[in-house]
Amino acid sequence: MDTHDAKKPLPRLTPDNRAFWEGCREHKILLPWCQYCDRPHWPPGPVCPYCFGDDLTWKQSSGRGVISSWVVVHKAWLPAFAADIPYNAVQVELEEGIRLTGNVVGASNKTLRVGLPVEVVFDDVTPEATLPRFKPR
Amino acid sequence: MRDDVAIVGIGQSEFGRYLPISQLGLGAKALQAALTDAQLERKDIDGLSLHMGWPLGADYDRMAEVYGLEVDYVHQSWTHGRFVTSSLQHAVMAVACGMAEVVACITAISFTRELSILGGPGDPEGMREQGATHGENPVYGLTSPAVGAAFALQRYMALYGATSAQLAAVPIALRKHALLSPYAVMKQPLTLEDHQSSRMVVDPLHLFDCSLITDGAAVVLLTSAERARSMPNVPVYVAGMQGVRSGRSEFIFAPPGLGINQQPASPTTPRERDLAVYGRAGIGREAIQGFYTYDAFSPLVLFALERFGFCGPGEGASWVQGGRIELGGELPVNTSGGLLSEAHVCGWNSICEMVRQLRGMAGPRQIAGAEALQWGTCWGDSVIMRR
Ligand SMILES: [Zn+2]
Repeated sequence: MDTHDAKKPLPRLTPDNRAFWEGCREHKILLPWCQYCDRPHWPPGPVCPYCFGDDLTWKQSSGRGVISSWVVVHKAWLPAFAADIPYNAVQVELEEGIRLTGNVVGASNKTLRVGLPVEVVFDDVTPEATLPRFKPR
Repeated sequence: MRDDVAIVGIGQSEFGRYLPISQLGLGAKALQAALTDAQLERKDIDGLSLHMGWPLGADYDRMAEVYGLEVDYVHQSWTHGRFVTSSLQHAVMAVACGMAEVVACITAISFTRELSILGGPGDPEGMREQGATHGENPVYGLTSPAVGAAFALQRYMALYGATSAQLAAVPIALRKHALLSPYAVMKQPLTLEDHQSSRMVVDPLHLFDCSLITDGAAVVLLTSAERARSMPNVPVYVAGMQGVRSGRSEFIFAPPGLGINQQPASPTTPRERDLAVYGRAGIGREAIQGFYTYDAFSPLVLFALERFGFCGPGEGASWVQGGRIELGGELPVNTSGGLLSEAHVCGWNSICEMVRQLRGMAGPRQIAGAEALQWGTCWGDSVIMRR
């Protein structure tokens, strides 16, 4: 996948997800973590969805998980991705229990399967943005 | 509110691709057809429940202005499958609460002129704060609702051993139904080989697992059951309803427990709370003679059947084999062809079909002795209608 095409959409930072994307720039997966429940949640929100408390912090994930589902896109909806077709995308269940969306690099689409163990790798797509991707482990 | 409100008129525009007429033009034709069907006049309509508008086409105020309507009640949901049921339900509630006497549910869509909304740079959903909710994530090239259905199907196939060839029974059944509908856009039979050899859109979804992209409009008119009994058509009563389910147990295009996005990954269907509609209607699931659902993608039909307990978790793909969901089968589904083969009129073509069935006027598609039919979506909302 050509990851350095600036025309590809970049993450939209919000007050709720900014720390996650800033963590990616430092090559860390940071998860929003409720200090009261001592558990992470996803997507990032202003409160813990389990206790509705706002005593949140960010904790680093191991970056390891398994593919919980995957797809391969064959249609050129986005011109910036047309040259990548067919390209994959995955949902990954991290060891901490939440599921992130990303894609798998360094492996053929034919090797993708539910349950495949993966770990995060970081792709500095622009000076401002780093995307987490995954590779088989 | 059981049986307090009835559908007394239905109307459709022509369905097609690249129709030269505007969305409001299509809607006007469908509204005229519905008024004629119900023997009502424009001035009788005092409520609107629109399943259209921003970001696709006109809003309620422009519509009322253009059509010369004067109404005292409006509900509007944007053109999005998840809001088809609630648009119908708001009309029912408005009548039941006395806020309006005759409500017109209107949808009109020119998808062929608005292709970009279905994925691509013109997809405003994906880049919203918090992103979109069918799994779209443009950063990774995910931009269409199709990707959400694909994520759900892929996991379903892996967990339960379901196959694409089994799934094909859904679009094949609906194509058979479409061939009996004079309104249907698709006119050719669909074979298993056609389905399996069709191009992949988003693996594992083949082309024929994805709804048509068409233009068309449909209108449904509702009033009180009391008034309906003095009107020309056989009243179609709204027997019971339940609303859209939402929460951390839900992903719009998956049954509860499938494990997409943040859903728990343990199957729980059917949940007691998803069966409430049968109690409200006073009609058990075993009495449902036809099932109508939002078939934007063929796996959604399996997920809806499982959510309402017609079969168990993971059983949908095998349950739909052998003609079970075809006319003449145990539970005919979307008997005019649905979004997959009749036209993508946001589900309202199927709601019009339910009314024709319950009036006994569905011609070659008629379910013999149809008395109770269910509309139910894979995201859990439902309306049971009876004659
Ligand atoms: Zn908490």
